[in-house]
Amino acid sequence: MKLRERDAGAAARAPRPSALRRAGRALTPLLWLGPSLALITVVVLWPVFEMARTSLLKISSSGVTLGGNGTANYTDLFDEDDLVPVVLRTLGWVAGVVVTTMVLSLAIGQLLNARFPGRRVVRWTVIVPWAASVLMTSLIWKWMLDNYSGLVNRVLLDLHLIDEPVNWLAHPWQAMLWMMWVAVFVSLPFASFVILAGLQTIPGELYEAARVDGAGPLRMYLGITLPLLRPALLIASIINVINVFNSFPIIWAMTGGGPGHATDTTTTFMYKLAFYDQNVGESAAMAVVNFVLILVMVLLYLKAARWREEVR
Amino acid sequence: MKRHLTVAIATGLTVALGVSGCGKGSSSDDGGSDGKSIKFVAAIYDDNTKPYWDALIKDFEAKNSGYKVQLEMVDWTQMDAKVKTYIQTKQAPDVLNYNAFSDFARDGLIYKASEVVSPSTLGDFTPTFVEQAKYNGEQYGLPFISSARLLFYNKTLFKKAGIAEAPKTWAEVRTDAEKVKKAGATGYGLPLGPEESQAEFYSWAMNNGGGWVDASGKWAINQPANVDTLTFLKGLTQAKLTQPNPETTDRKTVFNQFAQGKVGMAIGGPFTKAGFIDPVNKGLDFGVAPLPSKSGSEHNTLGVMDVLAAFKKSDGKNKEAIKKFLDFFYQKENTSRFLSKEGFLPVTRSAGDALSSDPYMKQFVDALPTSKFAPTSNPAWSAVAGAVKQDLGTSVAGKDPKKVLDDIQKTAEKSG
Repeated sequence: MKLRERDAGAAARAPRPSALRRAGRALTPLLWLGPSLALITVVVLWPVFEMARTSLLKISSSGVTLGGNGTANYTDLFDEDDLVPVVLRTLGWVAGVVVTTMVLSLAIGQLLNARFPGRRVVRWTVIVPWAASVLMTSLIWKWMLDNYSGLVNRVLLDLHLIDEPVNWLAHPWQAMLWMMWVAVFVSLPFASFVILAGLQTIPGELYEAARVDGAGPLRMYLGITLPLLRPALLIASIINVINVFNSFPIIWAMTGGGPGHATDTTTTFMYKLAFYDQNVGESAAMAVVNFVLILVMVLLYLKAARWREEVR
Repeated sequence: MKRHLTVAIATGLTVALGVSGCGKGSSSDDGGSDGKSIKFVAAIYDDNTKPYWDALIKDFEAKNSGYKVQLEMVDWTQMDAKVKTYIQTKQAPDVLNYNAFSDFARDGLIYKASEVVSPSTLGDFTPTFVEQAKYNGEQYGLPFISSARLLFYNKTLFKKAGIAEAPKTWAEVRTDAEKVKKAGATGYGLPLGPEESQAEFYSWAMNNGGGWVDASGKWAINQPANVDTLTFLKGLTQAKLTQPNPETTDRKTVFNQFAQGKVGMAIGGPFTKAGFIDPVNKGLDFGVAPLPSKSGSEHNTLGVMDVLAAFKKSDGKNKEAIKKFLDFFYQKENTSRFLSKEGFLPVTRSAGDALSSDPYMKQFVDALPTSKFAPTSNPAWSAVAGAVKQDLGTSVAGKDPKKVLDDIQKTAEKSG
């Protein structure tokens, strides 16, 4: 009896430390991951949840929550005449800015990678637009494009390229192109430095071997540089897509999305829904749509770029 | 180990909360628990505003020991976003200086005027403004400043163009604008950009029998008189009698050009001289005239009023401090000092006399009795004004005025 009891006790006790240890071992990574997981939960997941929740609420114009609103915010949003043009414009804006930025960054990356006197100064210069506040850059461009006292009109008038001042930012197409230029301007530093970093990881022996095999510069660029730059290009363009898609200060400072809604993207449209139309719920619905749009865009891009192969 | 994990998570959470500046769920009474400290959010009208409040608060705190006023200055361009955030996160200030109050009153957020100022202060407000500060027949808003709009014209340009006096009818506005244009300047400066297109448009519409609401108080934004008004303004634009692109031009641009002597006529307020003209060109020879009307027989003035609103706190403990502070501000000398520094018109009888001694200001004070106001006592007005700011200007850029007004009417009806 005594023996059996002791045996039973031993049998029962024996696996426990090992289970605990196993659990402990399994939990150890959590110790290191915990803070970042918590951080992600609080600063990423929680706001996303709040955003989705707000989009289902009825919020009074003063800001007080009045209760649930079902899907009314979404039906209101999809009833807006301006929604479709705004979404299409946003896609065009993202595509235009990102493609131009990547093409220019490839060239700038090459330049920065080349050896020439004063390279350090040039590298610093390229960083400047990044270091400066985007809002400040946008305002400076707005002033330069001013109808009455802008530098751009002055220069073009003096060169006799135009006969009378052009109110650049008042015409939707011209305004859009100028704003895309500013967006490219502020996106260049990051993209070109990512590409520069990518270029520096390509071993010189590859080029030597190619040269021995008789490859010309173009062949080397297409056969070695571009394929090996793929991870850098992928990262730079995805981050660029997200940044440009969500870009608010450039458009807000330069045209405010106007005239009317003619230069709005989804981001500025969202702001106007909340603060001009006093409809926070509908604005949150727009935010959810925006979030889904960007998620789909990034996933499609990753699929197209076959990112799994890169990560492996 | 488990404790380590908890600590790690707690640290992560704390950092994250700190980083994201999360204020949700924090106490609504962050102005101190003794009920003697209040938070006051004031709008920045110009560079004189902050020094004025700093001095006033210092004076107030010296005369009422133990009471504290925490001042926060907010630019008008940030104001709407800030106010909405305060309310959503339950961090409303005790006193707010704003241009709307009725939706706060509807949602039960603010005190009635009689609860936060003494009867003598309450009785000092001019009746016209008290009417504008009511919601459902009760006064909630505290009239703070008022303003009126009149037609500014450049006398030098008028002389050069051979025009004897300011236009009284719309037809005269048009012919005068043509003459000024021939003299080499912009005929009429028309700001229909998002800054204040609702004020500019109403200044014209009210002198054609139009307006925002009909006699019964229902929205009537697409009424024929308004379409007619917008068509007239579009005509001026298309004949190139205005500056280019009124749909993207804000008031400050128009008055900057006016001050430089490049614009013949524009609609401005009492603040226009000190705020826009004097800093650029003190010597500008300009005149001020009643707003022209279509028929030329009656001349209405656009009246504008900003208010102070006092927010309820859960325990009502802030009432005493608010009352002390507001009564202090509404003392004759304190109010009139603010008005004269900022170039606004009085809302109290006692401050009115002080301003009429200035001949420039007198023209505006005299125009106040004919003033018409935007329907600010309707809680939906902010949403309507927002729609007007965004879209009205597109009518002069090519869209059909009737269609633009129809759309705004639809927004208005949806908002209530």
